[in-house]
Amino acid sequence: MNAVEVQGLSFAYKGSEREAISGVDLAISPGEFVVLMGPSGAGKSTFCLTLNGLIPNFKKGKYSGEVRVFGVPTKKHKVSDLARDIVLVFQDFETQIFSTNVELEVAFGPENFGVDPDEIGRRIHATLKRVRLDGFEARQPATLSGGQKQRLAIASALSIQPRIICMDEPTTDLDPIGKFDVFQVADELSREKNMTMLIVEHETEEALKADRIVLMRDGRIVAEGNARAILASPALLEECSVKPLEVAEFFASLGPGASLDGGELPLTVEEGLSAWERLGLAADRRRLDSLVSEKTRQQQAGYGDPVIEVRNLVHRYENGLEALRGVDLTIRRGEFVAVLGQNGSGKTTLVKHFNGLLAPTGGEVVVNARDTRATSMFELSKTVGYVFQNPDHQIFAQTVFDEVAYGPRLFGVPEGEVKARVVDALEAVGLTGSEEEDPFSLTKGQRQRVAVASVLAAKPEVIILDEPTTGLDYKEQESMMDLIKRLNEMGHTIIIVTHSMWVTAAYAHRAVVLKEGQVVMDGPVRDVFVREKELADVFLKPPQIVRFGARLGLPVLTVDELVACVGREEGARK
Amino acid sequence: MNLYLYLDKDTPIHRMDPRAKLFVLLFSFALPLLNQHPLWVAGAFAVILAYGAAARSLENLRRIRQILFFIFIFSTLVWTFFAKGTDVLIWRVSRQSILYGIGTGLKLDAMIIAGMVFLSTTKNEEISQGLILLGLPYPMAFAFSTALRLVPTFVGAGATIAQAQRSRGLDIDSGSFIERVRKYIPLLVPIFLTAIRSSDGLAMALEGKGFGASTKRTFYLRFKWTARETVVVGLFLALVVANTYLTLTGRTLIRGLMK
Repeated sequence: MNAVEVQGLSFAYKGSEREAISGVDLAISPGEFVVLMGPSGAGKSTFCLTLNGLIPNFKKGKYSGEVRVFGVPTKKHKVSDLARDIVLVFQDFETQIFSTNVELEVAFGPENFGVDPDEIGRRIHATLKRVRLDGFEARQPATLSGGQKQRLAIASALSIQPRIICMDEPTTDLDPIGKFDVFQVADELSREKNMTMLIVEHETEEALKADRIVLMRDGRIVAEGNARAILASPALLEECSVKPLEVAEFFASLGPGASLDGGELPLTVEEGLSAWERLGLAADRRRLDSLVSEKTRQQQAGYGDPVIEVRNLVHRYENGLEALRGVDLTIRRGEFVAVLGQNGSGKTTLVKHFNGLLAPTGGEVVVNARDTRATSMFELSKTVGYVFQNPDHQIFAQTVFDEVAYGPRLFGVPEGEVKARVVDALEAVGLTGSEEEDPFSLTKGQRQRVAVASVLAAKPEVIILDEPTTGLDYKEQESMMDLIKRLNEMGHTIIIVTHSMWVTAAYAHRAVVLKEGQVVMDGPVRDVFVREKELADVFLKPPQIVRFGARLGLPVLTVDELVACVGREEGARK
Repeated sequence: MNLYLYLDKDTPIHRMDPRAKLFVLLFSFALPLLNQHPLWVAGAFAVILAYGAAARSLENLRRIRQILFFIFIFSTLVWTFFAKGTDVLIWRVSRQSILYGIGTGLKLDAMIIAGMVFLSTTKNEEISQGLILLGLPYPMAFAFSTALRLVPTFVGAGATIAQAQRSRGLDIDSGSFIERVRKYIPLLVPIFLTAIRSSDGLAMALEGKGFGASTKRTFYLRFKWTARETVVVGLFLALVVANTYLTLTGRTLIRGLMK
């Protein structure tokens, strides 16, 4: 019997004409580890909700076809009954974790099924050990890091001892090592416990651990197959808005003739290295150096005077937690800075000082030669714009126009100019023409753009963006970052807080790495990313192509750079 | 930011059966309410503080000190002018109305502190379990403790939203009353929508983990009503009974206060 059997499944949410999923057929056998990928709006989350019956029992709509979990049709059973066999872990760990401490969170599921308290105790012990949270029993979930919270969510699913666990983008908010840990645990469960795993994920490097990858787009399955086979088709992945593995992308770009002598497309750094050797590739180091110095020259040409100066900044929260412990930092006009670090390292606390949301408890922050403590936030926000991570924390107006016009109007800009600014801001974010739309009807990616536009319309010199790519698919991430890059080229100073290493590598000029409230690394991204060991200490991991380049002694940041310096037209030029 | 009041400490009061803690809460609400004269209220206040100190929970006072201060000042002032007494000092202020004002201020603060000590010593799960053991059906007890649990979540979301709007230039503290009310719209709309979204998420997470799957639910936390519980609850009960007697015989009232 299959663990999951889906036949001709279609579903349209109540009040929507469009089918979120249409005509999906899929069978997953027991113990299989499946990763589901695809662009935003492909129907991945909807699909997950059908598996444990939340659709159509909890979320109503037009449902046809059938889903069977170990032979049981989900449509006719209560969600809570199906939880014996299948448990979902959601992306948003804030809403799914609700207990006072770790062990009670894990106990909640078995309690619901009337498991004997002694047995619950044994399960708590075993599952916490399995997700490496043993010793955390009495901790309040709010005090855990993002990665730990997500592993706790997995533990609280595991304690029910289901046969299937389905996770919907469990690693979106996690730092690179946190992501790795979640997949490590999933992999162990499927191999050692023969548990069936279905994970929705954007990260290809993690997906390599899966047995099978299913690609969805527009509510349909467009491809499925062995994980290696799917990951070895960069073009197909790109079509589904999934970022291809960089090593594969590099070798694929060499062209079919030049590449592999019939061998498989390499997917990992190790495979890449042996292919490199086998093909007798060589890089032109001089070419890379000149490329790098040209890039650096271009970037630095736009730099001006210091706009933000941070001196020995200390921030202690009211509960005594010291989030920043003596930070020194100078940001010049026109820079593009990425602030990196583990969940809870103080990244957001730091940047919230730049527009006066937080005041230093020690040291000082000077913006445009004015001490932030002596300047009102109203004044500061004219200079420093701040885009929050979740656009839904700020969108309130009934039209996109009003939303974007909100800031300028508050600053007393005359209505005629407000109009011009809104038009400019919407053009910059690529939303021209949607002035009269309801912002709540837009996709997450578009709402993110509205949030950026609403900050842009106030024409701040400096723009801070907290996790601008979280929750977006690859294409959306790329276009969001292209937008930010354009803003930087127009003269805005950009500061992003991010977990995304490839975004940092491809777009930022400078990386500032925080650990426990202190700056541990600060410099050009290229110089920071070669320090792989030190990065691992702060739970960060450079992108695949950077690690690959490092092994070859080439400090590259992107696939394009590597392609350029392998330079096959080198011979032609000589 | 951590908004939970619960303090994970190992004191005899923390270890008590949640039913006993609920009884103590009830009695420590009753004690200040029974009295009128500030000296007697202060006595009830002292009992509650002593209980809180035994539970090593008074450190949370720091977190609610502003509320306590504000309520005390406000109610003292209000009653000083609105209560009536025989020994008039000036205009509406009398010796009795001042005493009554102070008494009422202390009363309210004592009750808030009693609530704080309860939340500092009792996990959410214990509250719902205590209520169940007292006869409340599980879904109701769970709804109650979840409501308590959601307060800090929504306060947290509200704080983030306020920060987001202030970053866009919103300045809530200026302008006329009408203007200020209008300024709250950009806060209320996202707070409301966030609340709906997270309740939806919570409901799905609960169902997805088998909430309500079995009519006979078990509880991992187990409690026993021992001699300790009887002694503590008995002590509070005795205080309430004695105080009731003294109040009925008029010994805790402010003489000369006119209602």
